[in-house]
Amino acid sequence: MAVQRNFSINQVEADEHQKLRFQVELEFVQCLANPRYLNFLAQRGYFKEQSFINYLKYLLYWKDPDYAKYLKYPQCLHFLELLQYESFRKEIMNYQCAKFIDDQQLLHWQHYQRKRMRLLQEEADRVAAQQPASSSSGVPPTMMTE
Amino acid sequence: MAAPSTRQRLLSSLDDVEIVSKELLKVLTAPTQSDDSGMDQLIQLLVQKDKEIQTTLTTAKEQGKLQRKYEALKAEVENRDQDIRQLQKSLKDVESTLSTAIYQAKAKLKAVTQANGRKISSEDLIKYAHKISASNAVAAPSTWAIGDPRRPYPTEIDMRLGILAKLGDPTISNQALQQQASFPESMNTLRPQPHLEQALNAPQPPPPQQSGLSWQHSVEMQPNNLPGHHSGLTPPTAHHPPPHFEQKHKDHEDVEIMSSDSSSSSSSDE
Repeated sequence: MAVQRNFSINQVEADEHQKLRFQVELEFVQCLANPRYLNFLAQRGYFKEQSFINYLKYLLYWKDPDYAKYLKYPQCLHFLELLQYESFRKEIMNYQCAKFIDDQQLLHWQHYQRKRMRLLQEEADRVAAQQPASSSSGVPPTMMTE
Repeated sequence: MAAPSTRQRLLSSLDDVEIVSKELLKVLTAPTQSDDSGMDQLIQLLVQKDKEIQTTLTTAKEQGKLQRKYEALKAEVENRDQDIRQLQKSLKDVESTLSTAIYQAKAKLKAVTQANGRKISSEDLIKYAHKISASNAVAAPSTWAIGDPRRPYPTEIDMRLGILAKLGDPTISNQALQQQASFPESMNTLRPQPHLEQALNAPQPPPPQQSGLSWQHSVEMQPNNLPGHHSGLTPPTAHHPPPHFEQKHKDHEDVEIMSSDSSSSSSSDE
């Protein structure tokens, strides 16, 4: 009876342990989306240790849809894949490389918004161009088209 | 040449007739000679040659007929050949069209089987898409300007607020950690409790071979639901703590100076 109770307590502790581990790994894998953090890790030599490389390989389970649905920053998976290659791990030690990746990431992040703005602007220009043409008054269009 | 052609025979017969008739006329115009036998011979020769000519003419007629038939058949054959060539062309065109159609159909089938292999409801997809977009994780907010601290990845501040930073802090008790674990984090997309249960009842993450979290309890991980995809990893030992978790302590201290590191020169021991 006592043994059973001990076992159930251990089971509860194991569950708690699992939950914590899940959250810790979730946070860590998403931190990999930050190129400056990767640069930081590279400069401290973490990427040279075999145990760390094995851990990165182990983290690939986050690609499975059952786990990936918990990710807020899914770009981290791309970086995780890149980190499997040694050449990338060597390159990311260079600050310029990390900065370049960061810039590209930001530009990509803004791409959708910029595209939308451009489309809206084009639509507005088109409508404005049509309006003076359809109106009967001879007032020339005043809006500048870019 | 095997046998003289009909034309040649006809012409030679005509020549013979000409010669014989000339001889005959010679004999007839020379009244002094009473060479009757010669004349008879000539007349018979003439008659014979005439018969020859007649037969040759009939042969020629028949040959003409045959020649016409032959030409008609040849024209027919030419028509058929042309039809066959047309059919061949159209068959080739059809073959190329069909092969393209089959290729595309195969590609579609492949896509269908691939999609069927991993079915996700569209509602789940839309919910997930909404989550990652609404938090500005994958698309920039419309009001974003250059000095805005928001980023498409977890920033230093986010990292410091998470469990990871607090793991290495010996001043925080395990209880506080567990409590923090049960509240929604900046990087977690869901309410924790019911869905974590679901996650844990779903495929378990394989027990980390290198991270035994030895500062936690001494509970051994049961490897009974291991998907077997880690070859080359050394088995866990509960005695020595895994190196990268120790170094996460260092991460905590170093996290604060991370931003200033960006201007330092990179370590060149490569």
